[in-house]
Amino acid sequence: MSQQSSHFAAYQPVKQRYDEYVDIHGSVRHVWQPVRETLDALGAEGLQAASIEVDRLVRESGANFQAPRGRQFVGRPWQLAATPFVMDAAQWRLLQQGLQQRVRVLEAVVQDLLGAQRLFQERIIPASLLSANPFYSRAYHELPCLAKRLTLCATDLAKDQDGSWWVTGDRTRAPSGLGYALENRIITSRVFPKLIHSSNVCRLASFFVRLQSHFSSLARPCLENPHVAILTPGMDSYRYVEDAYLARYLGYTLVQGRDLAVRGNRLTLKTLAGLQPIDVLWRHVSDRKCDPLELEPTSMQGITGLLQTIRAGTVAVVNSIGASLAQMPALVPFLPAAARFLFGEELILPSLATYWCGGARERLYTLEHLEELSIRDAFSVSSKPPMQPREMSAAQVSQLVDRINKNPHLFIAQASPARSTTPVWHDGKMHAWHTALRCFQLQTESDVEIMPGGLVRVSPDALSLDHSPTSGRLGQDCWVVSDTPVDHEISLLPPLHAPLKLVRGGIALPSRVAENLYWLGRSAERAEAIARLLRCTLSRIVGETVSARLPDLPRLVAALAALGQIEPDYAIAEFEAILPALETQLPASVFDQDQAVGLRAGVTDMEEKAAAVHDRISLDAYRIITQVGKHLDYEQTIPDAGMTINRLDGIIGDLLAFSGVASESMTRTHGWRFLQLGRRIERAHQTAELLAATLVNPIQDERQLLESILQATDCLMTYRSRYLLQLQPEATIDLLVNDVSNPRSVAFQLIAINGLLEELPRDVSINHPVEEQHIARDLFQAVEASVPAQLATVSGKKLRSNLDSIVTQLINQLPKLSDAISARYLIHTAPSQELTGRLSGVTT
Amino acid sequence: MKTLTTTVECHESQVEISPSPSFRSEHVDYFGNRVLCFTIESLHQELTVTATSEVSVCQHRKVEENTSLAWEKVRDDVARGRDSRWLEAQEFVFDSPRIARGADFAEFAQVSFLPGREVVEATRNLTRRIHSSFRYDVTATDVNTSTDEALALRAGVCQDFAHVQIACLRSLGIPARYVSGYLRTAPPPGIARMVGADESHAWVSVYCGSQLGWIDFDPTNNCVAETNHIPICVGRDYSEVSPMRGVVIGGGTTALSVHVDVDSI
Repeated sequence: MSQQSSHFAAYQPVKQRYDEYVDIHGSVRHVWQPVRETLDALGAEGLQAASIEVDRLVRESGANFQAPRGRQFVGRPWQLAATPFVMDAAQWRLLQQGLQQRVRVLEAVVQDLLGAQRLFQERIIPASLLSANPFYSRAYHELPCLAKRLTLCATDLAKDQDGSWWVTGDRTRAPSGLGYALENRIITSRVFPKLIHSSNVCRLASFFVRLQSHFSSLARPCLENPHVAILTPGMDSYRYVEDAYLARYLGYTLVQGRDLAVRGNRLTLKTLAGLQPIDVLWRHVSDRKCDPLELEPTSMQGITGLLQTIRAGTVAVVNSIGASLAQMPALVPFLPAAARFLFGEELILPSLATYWCGGARERLYTLEHLEELSIRDAFSVSSKPPMQPREMSAAQVSQLVDRINKNPHLFIAQASPARSTTPVWHDGKMHAWHTALRCFQLQTESDVEIMPGGLVRVSPDALSLDHSPTSGRLGQDCWVVSDTPVDHEISLLPPLHAPLKLVRGGIALPSRVAENLYWLGRSAERAEAIARLLRCTLSRIVGETVSARLPDLPRLVAALAALGQIEPDYAIAEFEAILPALETQLPASVFDQDQAVGLRAGVTDMEEKAAAVHDRISLDAYRIITQVGKHLDYEQTIPDAGMTINRLDGIIGDLLAFSGVASESMTRTHGWRFLQLGRRIERAHQTAELLAATLVNPIQDERQLLESILQATDCLMTYRSRYLLQLQPEATIDLLVNDVSNPRSVAFQLIAINGLLEELPRDVSINHPVEEQHIARDLFQAVEASVPAQLATVSGKKLRSNLDSIVTQLINQLPKLSDAISARYLIHTAPSQELTGRLSGVTT
Repeated sequence: MKTLTTTVECHESQVEISPSPSFRSEHVDYFGNRVLCFTIESLHQELTVTATSEVSVCQHRKVEENTSLAWEKVRDDVARGRDSRWLEAQEFVFDSPRIARGADFAEFAQVSFLPGREVVEATRNLTRRIHSSFRYDVTATDVNTSTDEALALRAGVCQDFAHVQIACLRSLGIPARYVSGYLRTAPPPGIARMVGADESHAWVSVYCGSQLGWIDFDPTNNCVAETNHIPICVGRDYSEVSPMRGVVIGGGTTALSVHVDVDSI
């Protein structure tokens, strides 16, 4: 490979910055040489192809899923650069020592602040860091702590011009980014499998194995197979995507506050089979929001009574409640003295110059050097960018000065870090961009383990990296290159000899998950039914037959109106008048984003429900679901009727793929049963609605209409195979209502519903059929007793009264069946309220 | 020599709860208050909690008899860590969930806290001024009324009076805490004592230097708390020591009523 064709030929390091790729003499750093050779060997096209492949994998990966339409949803913050961030072993060892020490120091500091407070008594740390701290709840101090307070922490780092690492911030509450770091590695390994294997890049998997075994060891009493759950703030949080990813990777149960309940002194998960104890809770919810009873009363993210279970010692909460105190920025300036006092050690890793304005001298310094400093909250870490006085107007600066003078202890000032630059492949060129590194540490009883690697963010603009942990233009995989070959064998699978109790089914299904799966089944089926009917109707409209000879069309339109796809007016208006409008109106209704019911709403609902149970369905199934909505995207002009038919083909195909995955790849757990119940109830209901709109009041010549109905229900093939071209109402009704061998018939749905209900868990004390079983049985008996010939008979008033009575019964009773199932199994989020009163006092 | 002016000893205490809780446990909170947690899982229309305690309140000496430090010295010794109990006291100088210091409070307090005045005398004066310039009015405020509003209204109930006085003291740098407790009331002459006529009450406790420690003042009744005041718990403000708090799951509305009966035995 000649020098000229190197991707790095035009690489321009930034002056006055440490560059990760070349040293100050312009020679390529040792650790980068093999990486560079491999990247160059790919050629420009090869690297571009790799880059495109990375983008694709990021798009399709589990941790990047699209926001359901119309919902504020925070997905993955960055794309991933194809080029890695590379670090040699010597550099890593030094950093590792510094990080281990830092975790030990932070642990000892927070133990002391929430314990004996020697650091206050000896004036090492000002007592007002707690007393004046609005985020310090006194309960933190009183709660017992049996293990380490900081189990999983992160440290944000920047590399100075001389190559030394500086700490820019600590994260001790529930650091985010671990899932993204893992995902970055998984993607990069897929794109550069050989490179990563031959370069001795340290594996991340062993860190997660340690994490799992340590989390399990925290359960009290010791259990062979403790129940570990991740408490996520919920779907509206930026954490949700990552939490779902981690839950899936680590095999933990993903829960929200409302999935849990405290009973006695135990934390339990509300499942279909009753309350199941949780042994270890990895909480990704703020300390203050963990328990509305004793902490912030308005919090919806926590669990009432959690602190009581911690006092009882029956649940291990990671990180401990109160751990967030260790990350307060105001602590940073006091850490070197604390390390000397507690351990007689100097900090190996320096922190970014930080001035807490609660100190008189520090405040003075800050006010005199505002131009050079960023101002942040002293007591909390937020995702807001810091205030930059140098970018403010004079009036804004004077306002800020007033605020600082009024409440000096609430502010800190920080210098901006110098940041090293590293090669980033972007837009077909190799750039030197600034870097931010976040490392992750696991503290066990005796040790601090550092994840070999980390989350790297890069940006052409160094300052933007200071804004928040999610700022920056791209992410990078961080490679720690070992001097010796690394072990490639580690995976998250437990060792072969580990005893494992065989488990079938999945009884520990949170009620919320069951509810989402149920509605996922319903909306998927609903979307399919509407899409089929739409396709059938549109095909008739654009077909060759002149409109006057489309006697079936008014009935199809009536059925679409019954499903909410179009305005009911269309169903009653004089038909010739509305036909031209229909040709544009139907496609418009398909793509209309504001329509509350109909196909698009069904698809959106399906995406939303799937997103809510993201950790419960396979990646393949999830990918198919996100694909469905893409058929409804368009640029500028709404597709015409013909194009719409093509789109509907795509939608129907994907929906069929999803139901195929559900029936072939999902184990028959309660989760699957709820998905199926949703689907079966919806299908029975849709078929009843269709028959009510089309056949109850018969038209003169029904042949064409019958064909359309059979098409819309995917039964035309079956019909033709039985009756060839003879289209008759009796045979059609038989196939759609009574035929138990037809998976599209109402009878088939009702048999399936009865079977599924039979298998659901039930209170053992109830040995008689329950309400939903009564409804489902009654419906099946009514259908079973009906005779197709009678159903097809038209009475004197031009009405199929027998058919009418059975579809009316279905349309009335199926929602009741659904309600009865919800009432028994699905979550009841009864509102909770604060109980408090005031004192009026006594006057004498 | 005892440094405390009054002490309270609890000889016996029991709490009856109806309907019977499925779970109960007790712990001591950060401020040293005893906390009873319980759960009722059954449906219920009414919840009754009856706490019965036998206590002795002992006054060791009259507050007025003491000569106390100048208030500025109390303030500075705590702020600079020169007072032997500074760490315990400094916590009560800062803002708390329901009380934010401010210039308005400082201004109101300044009239009582003249330069060089003794801290007890100055606080006594402040207590008197709150009592005389604030209207006792149960309709003027509710449980969520902020301390700033109560100051502006110059009205409220014991909780508001206590919050206002604490805000005044903290705004000058004097540590002050909130006391929730009961008051023994004597019936008017010739009228029999009515059972349950008393109510729960609140007042303030002020740090007067390491010698005197915490002294309690009652702005609602314009007095120093002596043997008629029975403290139950202390905290930075009402939010930390409300006599009862909880979460109800389910619909409906709740109303809370409190009856207190204090009697000599």
